[in-house]
Order: sequence, then structure tokens, then C-alpha cells
Amino acid sequence: MAEGQVNGCHTVEAWSDQLQKANDAKKLMVVDFTASWCAPCRFIAPFLAELAKKLPDVIFVKVDVDELKSVAADWAVEAMPTFMLLKEGKIVDKVVGAKKDELQQTIAKHLASA
Amino acid sequence: MAVSGFEGFEKRLELHFFGDDPVRDNNMGLRLLEFESLDEVLHAVQCTVVSALGNQYLDAYVLSESSLFVYPTKIIIKTCGTTQLLKSIRPLVRLANLMGFDLVGCKYTRGSFIFPLSQPFPHTSFKEEVIYIENCLPACLAYRKASIMLSKLSPSHAWHVFTASDHDDHRLSALDCLSSSSYTVEVCMTELDRTLANKIFRRPGDGKSGDAAGREMTEITGIGGINPNALICDFAFDPCGYSMNGMHGDKYSTIHVTPEEGYSYASFECVGSMYNREDDVVEVLKKVAQVFRPGAMSVAISCRSSIPRDVWTRVTNGLETLGLTCRSCTMDYFPAAGTIVFQTFTSRGK
Repeated sequence: MAEGQVNGCHTVEAWSDQLQKANDAKKLMVVDFTASWCAPCRFIAPFLAELAKKLPDVIFVKVDVDELKSVAADWAVEAMPTFMLLKEGKIVDKVVGAKKDELQQTIAKHLASA
Repeated sequence: MAVSGFEGFEKRLELHFFGDDPVRDNNMGLRLLEFESLDEVLHAVQCTVVSALGNQYLDAYVLSESSLFVYPTKIIIKTCGTTQLLKSIRPLVRLANLMGFDLVGCKYTRGSFIFPLSQPFPHTSFKEEVIYIENCLPACLAYRKASIMLSKLSPSHAWHVFTASDHDDHRLSALDCLSSSSYTVEVCMTELDRTLANKIFRRPGDGKSGDAAGREMTEITGIGGINPNALICDFAFDPCGYSMNGMHGDKYSTIHVTPEEGYSYASFECVGSMYNREDDVVEVLKKVAQVFRPGAMSVAISCRSSIPRDVWTRVTNGLETLGLTCRSCTMDYFPAAGTIVFQTFTSRGK
């Protein structure tokens, strides 16, 4: 799992692994529920990559809802992109939609309350 | 009345396509258009994407000047201000053709501009707009009609419509995922209630993002209560202005507000199904009127099939209970495109 970039999760095992690592490192984790065919997701992708570069203390993970259908279903993802913020294995916030400012401010809020 | 100000009245374009292999690409159709290509088209129309959201049925974009909705075989763009919306027709048709989709229907609608002299060509007159659109359309869209639906209110409250269709009803019904009983409502409101309008101004130094301020406006204005089940993307512009897209299953709704006194304006648009009891157009219109309390309001209902008389009589009666008097009611039929009923209302209190 690399810092400063958005890491793709392609299997349920890799997903569980990422969750564990973020939990152990006590870092804020941002999960981007996306899909290869989702144009709204591609709108925000460059911005997300920039955020990942600027915030090496945050773990950014990308989950394709087609590849990991069970995870998307478990987390009740209805529309995309959906960003879930996790701390110590628990969902602390979410942003539904490609909303740059809201995403940035929500991440900043949870980083500050570490 | 200001000499010149921001033009809230939108231009709306609806393009219908048909692909010879709809099952390919998981029925995603035009939703598979590269975002970068869409962005280029929007750039040509002088707008940018502010936020975006997609569900199982459609992708919805809030733009710097209104909204864009992309369905598998239908694209709807609505832009305000002085944008040159019609410049999007050629590039969108070209992009669709590259994916194996042909244009089979085109509909252009707008109200009457508050500042008509500020509009660039071809929006200087409806006639120029129609000529421009016709030049962009393939010849096979043989069934065309341009109509200005007037209201007794004044010549400055008319509804302009242009439709062009390929008359192959077989193909049309196959591609339209909503049944022919689906309708679209386009509402234009002016002389907004000042208390409501004042809520659409950003507070200086509030430290909020446009998204957060937009969410606050959705709540404090009561806009969020119009369809509480919808997923909303809202945005507050600086120093004033508000836009939102709502998404609920395969249906969208969209609201745009220009709050400045002298040229205040708000639009509301949604889709529904004529025979679905949950989509009560009258209840929705009453909620909208209660939020904005406009001095004047126009309602245009379009449907592929005919519109029963009781729909517009119920709209009239419903809005009457809120102090809005019906000033005109006209209906027009557009070949292979459907029926439009256009009603105008004024508030008795103003």
C-alpha cells in the first residue's frame, strides 16, 4: 500500500488487508466507491489523486463496485461516487457525489480531530 | 426593473438517440461517453461541471450555469445566463454517432428572457434559434414544429418550443425506458418572495464551501422537503445563487435560483409518470409554490401521449388554494413528440 496515491482494491482479501493496515496505523482512511464506466467518478479522479499526494497521512483506497459487489452491497452504496471515511475500522463520515470542496473539507475535519 | 442583470431563464435541450444494439454495454449507452469528451462540449457552451452523481439509471451534473442529465439514450442540458447552448448539438450528435447512436428526436424549450437584448446570437430571437437548430439536425428528423405558446399575461411570458422527430414510433418506444405516460414539468417563477430570496445569498466570511452552503440553503428554504426521498447535489454560488439536482430512481429534479431583487428567478423541473399515484404533479407544484411564493409562475407539462384535461384543471385548482390565479392555459401538439400544456399564474397578493 503506497502513500501519496489512491490504491486500488481488487479482491475481498486485499480489501480486508487495507482495513486492517489503516486500523493498525491509526490513520484516517478514505474509500472511493467507483466504477470503470462511471463518468461522474472520472470527473473527480484527478482531484482525488492530488489530494492523496498532498495528504500522505491519509490512506486512500479505491473500490470498484463491480469487482467487489459484496463490499458495495454491505456498505449500501446507492450512487457514485460515494466516499466513506473510516477511523479505527468505523465509518465516521461519508460524501455522496463528486463534490470537491465537500470532500476536501470533510477529510480536513476528521484529520483535525485525530 | 434593472437595466441589465443575470438572466435566470434557461434554455433547455433534450436529445433522444437510438442505437441498433441497446443490450451491448449493459444498456449503459451514452453514459459510457468519456467524461473528458462531455467536458469539452460543456467548454464550448461556456460552462463547467461543479459536482456530479450517478446511480443505476442516470448521471446528473450540476453545472456552473445549470444542469446536465445523461441517460443511456437521452441527454438533457439546461443552461442559463448568456450561454450558447445550441453549440452543444453538433458535438453531442457526433460523439453519439461514434458510439453507434443516431439522433432520433430533439426538443428545445425556453420561456421569455428578462434581458433579451443581452443574449448572443442565435438567441437574439426564436426564429434565429430555430434556423440554427435546424442546420444542426440530420434530414431524417422529418417531423418538425416551432411554436410560441402565448399567455394573456403579456407577450413577455411566452413558452417557446421547437421539436424535431424521426417518426418511427417502433424505435421511439423501444428506446425510451420510461413509458409513454411519463411527463416532464418545467416551472419558471419570477418576483420571488424576498425573505426566501435573501436566504440565497452567501454570508461573507462564513468559511463554508459552496457544497456546504448549498446544503444549508436546501434545508433553510424548505427545498429539501419537496422530494425528501431524493439524493441531492446542491451548490451555493458566490455572492449569491443556488443550484440543485435531485435523483430518485430513474427520475431527476432540478432547481436553480437567481435571487437578486428586480430580476429574481427560480426554476423547477422534474419528471414523473402520469399514472403513478406517487408522482402527484399537483402536490409537487404546490410545494414548489409554497417555497418560492412567486409573483408570477408558469408551468409547462410535456408528455409523449395526450394530457388528460383533469391534469391541468387540478393544477389550476391546486395553485388557486395558494393564492395563485390562472391567467392562461394553452395546449399544443407536436408531431411524433407529444403534447405540451402551458399555464401561467399570478399571485393575488402582489
